[in-house]
Parts: sequence; C-alpha cells; structure tokens
Amino acid sequence: MVILGLVLWMWIVIVVIAILLFMLIYYFNKFVILSNRIDNSLAQIDVQLKKRADLVPNLVEAVKGYMKHERGVFSDIAKARAAMLSAPDLAGRVKAGNELQNALKSIFALSERYPKLKANENFLQLQQELSAIEDKVAYSRQYYNDNLLSYNTSCTTFPGNLFAGIFGRNVKPYLEIPLEEKAVPKVSF
Amino acid sequence: MKSQERISFYNQISGNKIKSFFLIIIIFAVLIALSYVIGLIYSQYFFIILIFGIIISILYVLISYYNSDKIALASVNAREVSYNEARQLHNSVEGLCLASGLPKPRIYVMPGEQINAFASGRNPEHSVVCVTEGALKKLSKQELEGVIAHELSHIANYDIRFMTLAAVMVGMIAIISQIFLRSMWFSSGRDRDKNNAVLIIIGIVLAILAPIVVQLVQLTISRKREYAADASSVKFTRSPTGLISALRKIRGDKTELKVSGALAPLFMSDIKRRDLSELFATHPSIEKRIEILERM
Repeated sequence: MVILGLVLWMWIVIVVIAILLFMLIYYFNKFVILSNRIDNSLAQIDVQLKKRADLVPNLVEAVKGYMKHERGVFSDIAKARAAMLSAPDLAGRVKAGNELQNALKSIFALSERYPKLKANENFLQLQQELSAIEDKVAYSRQYYNDNLLSYNTSCTTFPGNLFAGIFGRNVKPYLEIPLEEKAVPKVSF
Repeated sequence: MKSQERISFYNQISGNKIKSFFLIIIIFAVLIALSYVIGLIYSQYFFIILIFGIIISILYVLISYYNSDKIALASVNAREVSYNEARQLHNSVEGLCLASGLPKPRIYVMPGEQINAFASGRNPEHSVVCVTEGALKKLSKQELEGVIAHELSHIANYDIRFMTLAAVMVGMIAIISQIFLRSMWFSSGRDRDKNNAVLIIIGIVLAILAPIVVQLVQLTISRKREYAADASSVKFTRSPTGLISALRKIRGDKTELKVSGALAPLFMSDIKRRDLSELFATHPSIEKRIEILERM
C-alpha cells in the first residue's frame, strides 16, 4: 500500500510539474508575441507616415503647375513635412503627420477649382494613395489597441498575473497617439 | 424574433470556434465507434483493405491540401492582379492586413458578374484572396472591405486547415462504411456465427447512418465558421455596415457563378440561388447573417 501510494504521489507531482512547465512556456511566449505585435503595429504607423512624407514632393510637383496662386498651401505643406521628419517621438510624428494630412486635404479641396488638375491621372493616383495611407494608419492604430488590450488583460487576470510577475512583465501604458482627423478640413477661399 | 440583445464580436468569434471544435470531436467519435464495431465483427484481413483505403484517401487529401489554392484558382480562371491594375483592391487588402496582423495574401480576380469572393491557402503565408469582377464593379469601397475582411478572417482562423481536417475524417468514415457494406454483400455466411448477428446489424446501421450524420455535422461546422468569419470581419473593420450592405447587394444579385459545385463551400456566399434547406447548406442564409451582424 505504501509503495502504491508513493507511485501515485510521484505521478501527481510529475503531472503537476508538467502542467506548470507547459503554462510557463505558454505565458512566456504569449507575452513575447503580444509585445512584438505591439511594437510592430507602432512601427507600421511610422512606416505609413514615412510613405506619406515621401509622396508629398510628388504631389507638389504634380499640382504646382496648375495651382500657381496657392502659395500659402504649399508653404504649409512644406512646414508640416519638415516638422514630421524632425519630430523626436512617434506621438510627435503622428501629430505632425496629421497636420500634413490636413494641409494635403486643402490641396484636394482646392483642386475642385481646377478641372484640368482633377482630370490628371497622376494627381488622382496620388490622391487615392494618400487616402489609403490614412486608412492604413487607422488600421495599424486599431491593431495596436487590440494587442495592447489583450496584453494588459493577460498581465492582470489570473493566472496570467502570476506569470507576468515571474517574467517581470508589467501593464503597458496606453500610448497617447493623436487621432487622425477624419473631418473635412476648413479651407478659406 | 429571438432575443435582440447586442452581441459582442469577441463572444461571437470564440463561441463559434468552441462549437466547431466540439462538432469535430463528434465526427472523430463517430469514426472511432464505427471502426470499433467493424473491428468486433471482422478479423485482420479487413483491416488490410481498410488501411489501404485510408492511406490513399489521406494522400489524396494532403495533395489537395498543399495545392488547394492553385487548384481553386485554376478551376475558376482567376488571374493575379498587380498593384497598378487594382489599386483600390490592393490598398483595402493591405489596410485590413495591418488591422489583422496577417501577411499580405496574393490577390486574384476571377471572371463573373456575381458578387462573390473566396480565400484559400493552407496558412497565412501561402494565402490567396480572390474576388469576382462583379464584386469589384458593384461594391463600394466600404462594402468591398467588409467582404475582404470576411475572407481574411477565414485565413486568420485557419479555416482551410480546419475544414480539411473535417473533410479527411468525413471521407474516412465514408470509405470505411463503403468497404464494410460491400464486404457484407460479397461474403457468404461461412465466416459468421449467431453471436455476430446482432453486431452485424449494428454495423450495417452504423455504416449507413454514420456518413450521413457526419456530413451534416461537417456542414454545421462550415456554417459556424462563416458566422465566425462575419464576426471577425466586424472586428477588423470595426463596423458591420460594409458587410451588411454587401450582403444585401448579394441577396439582390440575380446572377449565378459558372464554377464547379465542388468549389461552392469556398465562396463568400452561395454560387447558385439557394433551393435547399439550411440543414444541407454550407453557408447560413444571408438573412440570418445580416440579422446577426445588425445586432453587433
């Protein structure tokens, strides 16, 4: 009986250790995967902002010939682009990126007055491209929110909170990223 | 009308995944039960035939699994479109991939006036999304994004792998049943005795019923995955309006797709006008899908 009991206990200990080991690996990987995704989604926002900044000179080039009397808009765009490229952190880049996007929107609003420009294939493509970038920034932000939410949930709920303690993982603060303005910008004519 | 409470897409996704997991357990249990009963009736020689049958069916399924995307794309005459040919489509797919964390699939367009789409490929790295010319023409940007998000959800949920697994087991049950029933037909009474009579009757009943039952279960799984993909589409686009309005357009669309019926389960919605009851359909009815989406 004693021997049987010993074997039984041994098995219980082995099973418990196996389960614990399994959970340890599972949570270790979960935290790594989620924080990689969080970093990656922020990097994606940066990638899209960079693309936007890269497209701007092309757009200005395409438009300049048609809009000779709209110097104000071009200087706004140049300023916003410079601010975006020199901003030190992501929040700053997003904010400058929004200003850039607003300045671009005033170009698109002004383009209504230039039928020839509106028919320009190159211009239309750039317009479509820039609005796609706007969507992509929004989608990356959404992915960031999704993953931050599940990361923080697994850090704070049982049994994830125990493993978060073991691996030294803490709740990540929500990064204040200025929202892309979806509203139509005001253009003074 | 049943309860009209709001449903969260998170619950909708996980609920449908859990249900389809249990359904596949049912298919597996039927497979085990059938093999067990037949095993009681017969001795070794039957198993040799059985194992041959199963190996061949597994090979067949594995080959089609690894080539699922190519087979499907070739049989509908789809062609890959470059970024410059379909900017809107590419941009929508890229955006939704950012929202879902998926790598960008290859993008195909197939001929056909009907609004429809499908996704294929064994994993996200080898995935393709294919939409009809009709979908590109008739859907607005928001509607198209709802449809693409639905297809990307199938990729994200590993539905192609899951449905292949279901198909393998259903196919194995069909083969086992067939072999068993045929062997009953040809064998004379010499290797049976009275003790076996009851077992044999159970075996015959099982062999007739099992393939039908598991096929119904398989169809139920397919419908659950469709609901889950609709819910994930809402998660990715953060709004059900695009998909709802696309589904309404699909409902009003009177055209049919001229593709093989074998490909029907792949598509976003029925390729032909529906004339079967829900029980035998691979997809839930559009009305039901819209009703659930409207409550999200």
